[in-house]
Amino acid sequence: MSQIKYMLLTSRQGKTRLIRWYEPFDAKQKSKILREVAANVLSRKSKMCNILEYQDHKVVYKKYASLYFIAGIDLEVDNELLTLEIIHRFVETMDRYFGNVCELDIIFNFSKAYSILDEMIMCDGSIIETRKDEVIRIVEAMDAIESNDDLDRVLS
Amino acid sequence: MGSLRNFIKDVRASRTLAEERAIVTKESARIRTRLKDDHISSERRKKYIQKLLYLYILGEKTHFAQVECINLIASEEFPDKRIGYLAAILLLDENQELLTLLTNLLNNDLNHPSRYVVSLAMNALGALTSPELARDLYVDIKNILDHSQDTLLIKKALACAAKLISRDPSLLEIFAPYASKILFDKEMDNHGIIIGTNKLIQSILIHSKSYEFDNLPEIIDKLSALIPDMLATLQHVNSGLSNLRYNVEGCLDPFLQVELMTTLRLFLQHFPEKTEPYKNNYLDTLTHVATYTPTSSNSCTSVLYEAVRTIFSFQAEHSLRVLGINVLGTLVAQKDCNTKYVSLNALLDVVSIEPQAVQRHRKFISRCIFDPDVSIRKRALELTFGILNPTNLKELISEILVFLEKAEENDRGLILYCADQLIMVFDMQENIDDSWKLDVIVKILKSVGQYISVEKVTDALIMINNTSNLDHKKQVVSDIVNVALEKTTSQVLDENLAWRIVSVWCIGEYADLILGDSKFSETSLTDYLYKSDSLHRDNSVVVSYVLMAALKLSTKIDTKTLIKKLREIIKSHTENTNVMIQTKAVQYGIIFNEPPAVKTALLEPMPIFEKKIPETSAAKTISQKYSAPAAKKVKKKENDLLLDLLGDLSLPEPTTPSKIPDDLLANPKSSATLQQQNQNILNTPTFTRNPIEIPPNSISVHSSDTVEVFGRVELTNSDQNREITLFLKAKKDIKTLQILIAVPKSQRAEFGPLSSHMLSSGEVARQSLKIYGPGSIKLRVKLNINSIADQFDYKFENRT
Repeated sequence: MSQIKYMLLTSRQGKTRLIRWYEPFDAKQKSKILREVAANVLSRKSKMCNILEYQDHKVVYKKYASLYFIAGIDLEVDNELLTLEIIHRFVETMDRYFGNVCELDIIFNFSKAYSILDEMIMCDGSIIETRKDEVIRIVEAMDAIESNDDLDRVLS
Repeated sequence: MGSLRNFIKDVRASRTLAEERAIVTKESARIRTRLKDDHISSERRKKYIQKLLYLYILGEKTHFAQVECINLIASEEFPDKRIGYLAAILLLDENQELLTLLTNLLNNDLNHPSRYVVSLAMNALGALTSPELARDLYVDIKNILDHSQDTLLIKKALACAAKLISRDPSLLEIFAPYASKILFDKEMDNHGIIIGTNKLIQSILIHSKSYEFDNLPEIIDKLSALIPDMLATLQHVNSGLSNLRYNVEGCLDPFLQVELMTTLRLFLQHFPEKTEPYKNNYLDTLTHVATYTPTSSNSCTSVLYEAVRTIFSFQAEHSLRVLGINVLGTLVAQKDCNTKYVSLNALLDVVSIEPQAVQRHRKFISRCIFDPDVSIRKRALELTFGILNPTNLKELISEILVFLEKAEENDRGLILYCADQLIMVFDMQENIDDSWKLDVIVKILKSVGQYISVEKVTDALIMINNTSNLDHKKQVVSDIVNVALEKTTSQVLDENLAWRIVSVWCIGEYADLILGDSKFSETSLTDYLYKSDSLHRDNSVVVSYVLMAALKLSTKIDTKTLIKKLREIIKSHTENTNVMIQTKAVQYGIIFNEPPAVKTALLEPMPIFEKKIPETSAAKTISQKYSAPAAKKVKKKENDLLLDLLGDLSLPEPTTPSKIPDDLLANPKSSATLQQQNQNILNTPTFTRNPIEIPPNSISVHSSDTVEVFGRVELTNSDQNREITLFLKAKKDIKTLQILIAVPKSQRAEFGPLSSHMLSSGEVARQSLKIYGPGSIKLRVKLNINSIADQFDYKFENRT
């Protein structure tokens, strides 16, 4: 069962590139987590494992190029190794959508990145679609309607 | 105002943090003003909200735009809706009153002709469901499940239904039928749908407790009819027979496999009686998954790991449990550190249930003690102490010694943990030979003495003092002092305080033993004390040891000038600012000047120090103090306190403690029961079990018709570290016994193994634990007796 509490993308410098909360934390908790978890993850050495305990939950992270993908998960129900797979799936899907995704793609097209994430994970951080092509098909279909709408507007 | 793209570029181009802040604040203020205008075009509004979302990612305040996202959702244009819904998910949460504004919009969009609008609306509903929204909108979700043929929508509707139930459990009656309806519809070879169905079933099982209507049994009956189907699907997918589009590095849809196992596990946990007819199917399928899933990639190991978690979530057959542990053993042996981490964690959870089976994998567990990752090292060490028993003791401890030799500054926590555990094990294992124990302790002091606390050093001194083998004692003392005196070796660093204390103490106590050796001279010993004194003048602990040693050494040497030097050491402290040291120095100064005969008599060698004595004598005084009626009164009070806290938690009236045998108390030497317990602490099922007796001063903390639990707090000198022993007396035969104990968050507990997992009627099992941290001792204990759970809380009265 996946019950992700938050998905956070952080650059090597500690700048947040994407953040999605699946549990209603209050503003104070949010800023604390953003600050502490990112600092904690960034300070870890490459040989260390990708799982750590933080407050009342676990944090699973993976570094892809200059970007850290960090997921907060439940201590009991979540499977840490599967969470790594979910992160990897998200990265792969973006990679196919953007074509060799890099940090800049996510910075400038954050709403597309959110769109992909929302087709994969819903509600209380549970995974709903495990196929990359299915996710991309839906996001691209929505992109197409959007550009058609724009076109219509220009023509009218 | 520029475009979003330019705004992002500007922010990124700023050279300093201050510059970035200036740009961000300015833009934020500008957006805020513009959004106040009611007549902005939706095109503009969309742009502002997009910029705001970027500000949101940067961590800026964005609350003022919450109403605007709702305005965007209300637009008829798809691009507006898309941004509007994204903004709503990010900027709102379910606690906000604004959600009432959303109800109508969601209601419209859930019935929109475009599947993408419906899909977006469900994303938002899934993220923002409040109990009110759940009640207002469940009809729309039901409608989709009834009429739609679109897999995208069905999949999301199922996930939404699961979420709605979590907010209003009474809805589970409405949605439960869809689980069977959809899962049986074999036409849909779509994993998204199966996952959605699983989410729905999981939510129903989890929230069934809060469902208040009496048709729950029927609902659950219908759901549990799906179990064989789900087991079959799991085996089917695990064998790689399903749709290959879901392949992930040699593993077919690990996400689905894990969800299926979660659902199956929830059935076992919430409705074990419903799973009874399918017991063999469970067994077969879990065996299949645990046996045939390869370990070649992370996706495969995640499935294996989940299978093991499922096996240990219920009272599985012994053979299945052993299989589970063997799988974990294979995972511990993997290269990948995440796999090692999770499998060590899982082994720690089960080591008390199947110590023998875990034992078999000790080779790989030991290897993890040297892992570069400290969190893996920590778990491996804990596990090593968990599987320690008399037969593997020497082997495992030698591994731990190697670890300690290599340990570094940042392993401090682990070093202390090891030292604590080792001394505890040694105290309890009385039948291991003393010389070996002593050698181990000396090695520890040598390699990591600088990290070890003074109390632990005292334990080491007691061991040296108590060792009965005189030759060995001489050897050890001589080695200790020799290493300390050698100037050339940097083996023992100046900061190794523990070594300093031990060597100083040895010189004071045993100078006569080693002075015959040519390596040592009266001068070298005296100089060493002198040097230790001047090096550590600020450290009152070292100074007190030096003072004592100087006094004692003076009776063991003959050279006048050296005796004078020793006297000077003592004299130099008579005006020490530390009152304790000053008093000591003055008193020792007086003794120093006594005639030799008096002095020698005063400074005789230490007697054998019985470490257990304070424990037994303390126990004695307490039980004497609380003679029967008084004890009863105290307990009564405790019970009342507990009732006040927890309302009517039906606690049984505490029964009077087992009769106090008077002779045991009268004769402090008869600590036979204690020794028996000590032997038992590491016992394994193969050992003949010594009957454990409940010490007379234990308090009855809990009683049920199968077991009676007694507890005892061992008095230790500090409030920070207390030992508790629980005794479980069986009233009936107990085939499987498991105990889980939790302490308040402010404290940390360390557990010894449960002495026995099987009891016949009248027998007693023992569980010891150490609690670190201040405050009164409150335990929450969960017993699992013959797979029936029994939970209770207990607070020990603070009597120190």
